[in-house]
Amino acid sequence: MSGPTVPFASEDDVPIRYMDRTREYYQTLGFSPYRWAHFTDAPFTPLSTPLARARVALITTAAPFQPEAGDQGPRAPYNAGAKFYQVYSAAVDSKPDLRISHVGYDRANTVPEDLNAYFPLARLQEAVAAGRIGSLAPRFHGAPTNRSHRVTMETDAPELLRRCREDGADAVVLVPS
Amino acid sequence: MGLATRHLEANGIPTVIMGCAKDIVEHCGVPRFVWSDFPLGNSAGRPFDVESQAQTLELALRLLETAPAARTTVSSPLGWTAEAAWKHRFLDVGKLSPEEIAERRKEFDVVKAVAKAKREGA
Repeated sequence: MSGPTVPFASEDDVPIRYMDRTREYYQTLGFSPYRWAHFTDAPFTPLSTPLARARVALITTAAPFQPEAGDQGPRAPYNAGAKFYQVYSAAVDSKPDLRISHVGYDRANTVPEDLNAYFPLARLQEAVAAGRIGSLAPRFHGAPTNRSHRVTMETDAPELLRRCREDGADAVVLVPS
Repeated sequence: MGLATRHLEANGIPTVIMGCAKDIVEHCGVPRFVWSDFPLGNSAGRPFDVESQAQTLELALRLLETAPAARTTVSSPLGWTAEAAWKHRFLDVGKLSPEEIAERRKEFDVVKAVAKAKREGA
């Protein structure tokens, strides 16, 4: 069986099975399992405007800092009080202060001290300056992290579509945190 | 986010989602996905690493231009650390004592109550 040693990657260096991990975690704590959205197909719309002329919109799950809503700093525990439940929009040139204390990011392995790691607005602005994309939509949009798939599908997603259309977006970059 | 991206795309706007949770995003089924094998919270690149953020965005832009079909995933070539040890530390329930489990359960009950109050007040 022995042969030349092949320098394969480590056996455990595979994508984390977040659904299994989360299911096991909450079951151990005594909670019923969450059901993740699941489809076996997906819609597809080809890009019809070259990016160098396209207007691109950005959608985030990050939340605007709310002074009254408790600890939202980079080492804050999960802060449900900082959640939001309605789509919001803000000007892309407003230098937004967005936090992610309201979601279950990986607190064991990362400290969210750099907005740009979860909200690529500055990089998008550089791409516009470089001529890589035509322009940014005037506003970015915040998508609520609602546990109800029904609310997401029937209320939030149509509202995001409405706002992206209003802004004349040719393409949208979505960045969950 | 997967549901929102599907809705936009179904209504004629091309989309790309940048994320770290490969299984969750692909389970939902999205048109275009740039996957970074980073801890959740770093969908747009490594913190304080402008070059990695620019590279990750460029993958997303290339994907918008070139995806041949729905459910196309591009895996970023960037890694988080040389070792994979970090991958065991996320929600590692095996490491918790019964007391810690009880404590976390209480904390989560509080979190749920706070979220519910905020949601209903919204």
